[in-house]
Amino acid sequence: MALMSQSMAVIVMNIRSLPRRFWMSAAMVIASAVVVAILLAFLAMAKGFETTLKSAGAEDVAFFLRVSSAAELNSTVMNDQVNLLRNAPGIVANDKGPMVSPELYVIVDGIKKTSQTKANIPLRGLGEQGVRLRENFTLLKGRMFTPGTNELIVGQGLLGQFDGFELGNTLNFGKNRWTVVGVFSTAGNVFESELWADARVIQSLYNRGSSYQSVRAKLSSPQQIEGIKAYIENDPRLNQVVQSEASYFAEQGKSLSYIAIFGRVISTVMALGALAGALNTMFTSVADRTTEIATLRAIGFSHLSAFVGTMAEALVLSVLGGLLGSLAAYLFFDGLSTSTLGGSFTQVVFTFQLSGNLFMQGALMALIIGFVSGVFPAWRAARVPVAVAFQARR
Amino acid sequence: MKDLYLIYKNLTRKKLRLFLTCFTIFIAFLIFGAVTALQGALNSGVEMSADNRLITVNKINFTQPLPFAYVNKVQNIAGVKEVSYANWFGGFYQEPAKQVVTMAVDPITYFSVYEELVLPDEQKSKWQKNRRGAVVGQRLAKTYNWKVGDTVPMSSNIFSNKDGTQTWELQIEGIFTAKDPQTDTGYMLFHYKYFMETQIWGGDNVGWLMLTTTDTNLNEQVAKAIDDSFANSAAETQTSTEAAFNKAFIEQIGNIGLIIFGVVFMAFFTILVVVGNTMVLAIRERTGEIAVLKTLGFSSMRVFRMILIESCLLAFFGGLLGLGGAYLAVLWASAAMARFLPNLVLDQGIVLQALGYMLLLGLITGIVPALRALKLNIVSGLQGV
Repeated sequence: MALMSQSMAVIVMNIRSLPRRFWMSAAMVIASAVVVAILLAFLAMAKGFETTLKSAGAEDVAFFLRVSSAAELNSTVMNDQVNLLRNAPGIVANDKGPMVSPELYVIVDGIKKTSQTKANIPLRGLGEQGVRLRENFTLLKGRMFTPGTNELIVGQGLLGQFDGFELGNTLNFGKNRWTVVGVFSTAGNVFESELWADARVIQSLYNRGSSYQSVRAKLSSPQQIEGIKAYIENDPRLNQVVQSEASYFAEQGKSLSYIAIFGRVISTVMALGALAGALNTMFTSVADRTTEIATLRAIGFSHLSAFVGTMAEALVLSVLGGLLGSLAAYLFFDGLSTSTLGGSFTQVVFTFQLSGNLFMQGALMALIIGFVSGVFPAWRAARVPVAVAFQARR
Repeated sequence: MKDLYLIYKNLTRKKLRLFLTCFTIFIAFLIFGAVTALQGALNSGVEMSADNRLITVNKINFTQPLPFAYVNKVQNIAGVKEVSYANWFGGFYQEPAKQVVTMAVDPITYFSVYEELVLPDEQKSKWQKNRRGAVVGQRLAKTYNWKVGDTVPMSSNIFSNKDGTQTWELQIEGIFTAKDPQTDTGYMLFHYKYFMETQIWGGDNVGWLMLTTTDTNLNEQVAKAIDDSFANSAAETQTSTEAAFNKAFIEQIGNIGLIIFGVVFMAFFTILVVVGNTMVLAIRERTGEIAVLKTLGFSSMRVFRMILIESCLLAFFGGLLGLGGAYLAVLWASAAMARFLPNLVLDQGIVLQALGYMLLLGLITGIVPALRALKLNIVSGLQGV
């Protein structure tokens, strides 16, 4: 009990003496804030990108690509192959027949708002089943494109980052003229970075004959995918591989994971620098309080209370920095919308996303800085000889 | 001499603090050097492009093809020196994850449009005669340990071979290098004609055209003439200088690059502010001693100079170590990640920039206490002692 109250008294004293060492203490707070803010910025970027792609994939949608294509852009599926796939087992049917959606994926140019330069925008060709497959699809403005016409609808994410796709606009892709008739949302996932139009119109305008690039099929349950695998295996006319749409997009979401690795490396290296700064601060603090500590020891305070007091000071400063850094990261980065080149060679619009988990990682970083920068100076504080108290003031 | 000894004694009076301060500066410049080199590597495509080289692509997007007939039409436009063309192959070696930049090109004109590439004449003529031949850049050849005479199976993630596979057996006839070591040589070239005849879709499309102009001043005029001559056709074109084309491509990665580098540089400067603060306080502690020095007859200017030299020494000591560390890190990274980042180098520009920041750090952190020392009244200075 005595130890508790002693330690509390020293902690309060230390913290109240902080203004005396204002600049040194501020340096430590800022150093730890910068490290935490950087870590969070990078992690939020990687997390936002990953979520945008991951959330696009459904577990109960089978996704077919030609062998070794890796992405929709590179794949081809012939019309007769699509017809074969329609007969695969385990596919759900609705009033329009089996829920199978053959799709086309071509790239057109858009103008990036931030740089006014051209960027690759995906133009997806699909039919009614394709739209119905995507359960979180909602039309925000305007209307659906009419099949057989040069009409398209634009994803909400695209609208925010690129110029020229506003509702009612006429777009020229080469000699083809398109009219934007609607704006859609798919709850923030990667489909919102796309333009959608009727697959058959794209087939004729882009000389694709009757071929498509990828096929999606709604399954009665995720387990049905095994049956489909066997079905493809047994038919030599099919050169497709099947996986769940979820696993395809999970793989695509990893293409920015190097950002998270880079962020962790940079912030760890920077944390070492911040640590050195923080150690400087804490050693200065102990030197500054030497007489004080010795005096307390002389009137009966224990070694441990001096140790705890210094430790607490270090933790308070670093945690303060951590909070400041998290706040800065939250204010500047959370919800920040941007776009980059994704795995399909097209622009993916995504927003930075800070989650509780990421904040925990930031807090952990701050605590580590606080602990390491506290423990050595605290050890020195605990060993201040009592005699110092009786020496003349330096 | 005596001054230097005093400066040395002042610097080393608290060894731990000296170490910690140096270490922080070390880290700051390590990050600065490494990240600036990284930024340079990402932008190197723009810097390494020839002034008189233009790229013509389909106006819809550069992934859309152009008719083969455009090659001759462009050749006849005034101001065009030489035209070549290429098709993207979407190549990979053995497994889809091992992507290899592979292009089907015209073996006669390619190397005259890309003059900075060096391929021995003997190898070049052998390649031109062998339909199934390919030439490989030195960096790529090193990656997979390929040698002249090897036959390598190259697969495509886009095209299918008429033999029912997606693989083409190519014979390496030559290995090309570049005049400038920063020019990327991590790719492979093979015959356009052979590619077109063996892939199932056939057709007579090219992916894009690259051409040189007779004079850099004609670039704009030539680009406009090309685009005008194909206006209102089924495949309209967009011609730009190679530098502009590469820059636009880098812009596709977008402002996440800007955000990353912005954040890192902000951190670099914050660390400098933090460490500068420590350095200022370290000298401020010595107000009494400075008054003693002045009492002993050291002139104000001499003390002023000593303090400035001390802070600059500290900044350069930590900073140069950091730059050295960055150099090693870059050296390691460029060897380990040659496939992704071909042009990672810590060049002269970065070193000069870093030296500038070190000087700035030394001067700014030194000037405040040095000025105080210059103006210090001996009597009030000694009062604290």
